[in-house]
Amino acid sequence: MTYRTHALKALTAIGALVLMAGCGSGGSSTGGTGGTGGSAGAPVHGGNLVIARTADSQSMNATTVFDNESIWIFEQIMQPLYTVTPNGKGVMPWLATSYTVSPDKKTYTFTLRKGVKFSNGKPMTSADVKFSIDQNTKATKGWGFINTAIKSVSAPTPGTVAVHLKYPWAPLLADLSLFANGIVPANYGGETENQFYTHPVGTGPFKWGYWHKGSALKLVRNPLYWQHGKPYLNSVTWTDVPNDNTRELQLKGGQAQIDEFPAWSTVASLKSTQGVTMNLFNSTQTNYLAFNELRKPFQDVHVRRAISLAINRKALVKAVLFGNGKPANSLFPPQVPFYQQSTPGLQYNLAAAKQEMAKSSVPHGFSTVMLIPAGNSDYLTIATIVQSELKPLGINVKIQQLDVNVANTDEQSLKYDMTLTLWTMDIADPDELATFAVDPKSGAKSFFTAYNNPQVVKDTHAAQRTLSTTQRQSLYNFVQSQSAHDAFMAYLYYSPYPYATSTKVHGFFVTPLGNYHMENVWLSK
Amino acid sequence: MSFVGRRLLQLVPVAVGVTIVVFFMIHLIPGDPARTILQQHATPRAIAELHREWGLDRPLISQYWLFLDRLAHANLGQSLIYGVSAASLIWQRLPATLWLIIYASVLAVLISVPLAMIAATRKDGIRDHVVRAVPLLGLGMPPFWVGFLLIYGFGITFKVFPVGGYGTGLTGHLHAMFLPALTVAIALAPVVIRSLRASMLSVLGADYITTARSKGVPARRLFVRHVLRNAVIPAITVLGINIGFLIGGTVIIENVFAIPGIGQLMINSIFQRDFPVVQGVTLVFAVLVVLVNLLADMTYAALDPRVSFDR
Repeated sequence: MTYRTHALKALTAIGALVLMAGCGSGGSSTGGTGGTGGSAGAPVHGGNLVIARTADSQSMNATTVFDNESIWIFEQIMQPLYTVTPNGKGVMPWLATSYTVSPDKKTYTFTLRKGVKFSNGKPMTSADVKFSIDQNTKATKGWGFINTAIKSVSAPTPGTVAVHLKYPWAPLLADLSLFANGIVPANYGGETENQFYTHPVGTGPFKWGYWHKGSALKLVRNPLYWQHGKPYLNSVTWTDVPNDNTRELQLKGGQAQIDEFPAWSTVASLKSTQGVTMNLFNSTQTNYLAFNELRKPFQDVHVRRAISLAINRKALVKAVLFGNGKPANSLFPPQVPFYQQSTPGLQYNLAAAKQEMAKSSVPHGFSTVMLIPAGNSDYLTIATIVQSELKPLGINVKIQQLDVNVANTDEQSLKYDMTLTLWTMDIADPDELATFAVDPKSGAKSFFTAYNNPQVVKDTHAAQRTLSTTQRQSLYNFVQSQSAHDAFMAYLYYSPYPYATSTKVHGFFVTPLGNYHMENVWLSK
Repeated sequence: MSFVGRRLLQLVPVAVGVTIVVFFMIHLIPGDPARTILQQHATPRAIAELHREWGLDRPLISQYWLFLDRLAHANLGQSLIYGVSAASLIWQRLPATLWLIIYASVLAVLISVPLAMIAATRKDGIRDHVVRAVPLLGLGMPPFWVGFLLIYGFGITFKVFPVGGYGTGLTGHLHAMFLPALTVAIALAPVVIRSLRASMLSVLGADYITTARSKGVPARRLFVRHVLRNAVIPAITVLGINIGFLIGGTVIIENVFAIPGIGQLMINSIFQRDFPVVQGVTLVFAVLVVLVNLLADMTYAALDPRVSFDR
């Protein structure tokens, strides 16, 4: 035998290993035709759906966690009394079927839906509802602020719950529809809070499966779900696939049926990919350029207006979103109640920008720094475009890219000149957004800009306490118009939520608040 | 004390040194995990509550002593983001990374040895030139790109392997981890091939090989028992060093193939300033690098009776 024969034998062994590995278990494949929400016939029961998502969840504790990758999961388990309507502008009965309001508008009495059971088989009662809302109110480092108007909750009968307010509060139903007010068993079913949230129990369509942190989280069908016949799926698994390309390839390869947030650059090609439905759901996401009014010259309204007028938003939408968005005109996005389409949000007008600069404290321009988190290509594109667009005004912008955490800390500590930020709605009412955005005494210090217009702040709070829709519209119109005039932030664009799904997936719909109801989703064969 | 015992003892100062550097670096750079968690809802009160809960309101040196104290009790602390023990997170992820490293090393050896043999036995021939040139492509191409090419070819077009993931069970892991391991092996093999080829050529020219040939030792026996055994030692050094680098560099492959390993955990934890997890993962990396080098040294002794570490 020669040396060459040894080598060939070894190569043959490698080939055998490849073949053996290739014939091993694992992997799955799907394909086929159809369409999400399309005319694919009657829903079919069964199937295990995989959603490839961008990041892992942080926690299942609904009262303390703020990241969407956690929220979208536990919403399938724990449900509130009311939920957001598909258009994102209102609420509809969920675990409650109706309510009455006392003449002084300070007590709301809710009738609970009959026959609702937790996935552990125990019936849901008013004691569970009282416990759940009380727990959220106590969550001082979580969502407790959303229940700020609630004085107490009582459970007059097993089927009714009364919410007593400190004062009349217009956003109450929207607040109660927040996931953090989702209903859990009283006293966490005898467990501690920490124990309970390692395997939460609720009334939702799915119940706890497992969570392999950093890898996958699985929920399985709740056979006791109160909407009889739903959910259709046997299970839903969220896998953590941070790489955009890999998520797309997993969808195409049939390993996942939903690709959460494909890259904007791939949306056009996914639209024409066989076996894939590219969905662009209306969202409440708004991107802004924030100015720090604690730093010169950004306390000068003319400077802020000049910058805002110099930004070509259509160019941003084209460059960043590949055309899949709209220039923003208001602090509120169009999917928010009381959005005012006629808000005079500043749009691209270079001549007007130059006029504003001439009226400012720095008519010949200045140098400044735009802070962005490193590694965010969308933000870098925006920053580069804005940098170029501000040159004609004599504004020399240096782009500072910092580690995400450092950039976040600097923004919240107001250690920046200009920065990019965004917002998506948590509730179907503008109250949370307006308060966080314009009230310097709120937790977010006017979105960390230190913007302070006393009349805007006053009207924002007035809108919380009047129950008249007409009056609220009027107040919010002023808030939107005045804050747009003050240009405390440059409103950049509204973008949709992109989800690429297999054509076998039906009934998948994302509300403008980013939530989805997996009980409506089914897989065709 | 035996060689192995001494080398294992060296782990202690290495590990302590790593903990000091990592602990103070990660704590001294700006950034706050509380702000990561609270996002736009980061009120001073909520931040202070979380700092108190995590012990981040204590002096830094006190936090370090606490960390060492926990470490002495085999406790890496609680993850600030997940609220579970850092050790459990690392323990969950470690197998995937170990699978990747070991599988890739095996594939690299399986690719390198025969190719180096072909090249060495046909020095300056066409096969030698091909073997020396073609694998260099693997060295020149970025691993993430090679990974995507393999996914397109074997995951999408032929659907032989899954597009990502870790798989379950032995065959599941062998199946799911083949493409990621091959991606790493393609980058690793050229270095090993060149080293092994050079060693083989050197050994083939040695007097004892000529003597063995003149005594009529069969070619197969000559190559396996004399040439390969002597030539493989430098290649093991090269492989050991590269595996050391690989341990710290698995994150790219883990990202491309969505493998839940500790490289990915490390990166996420750094971005989120999850201090206990960063410290724990770094410690594991340090221990692994030391162990791999120890293993390489021990392999010398096993292959070459002239090598004795106890003298």
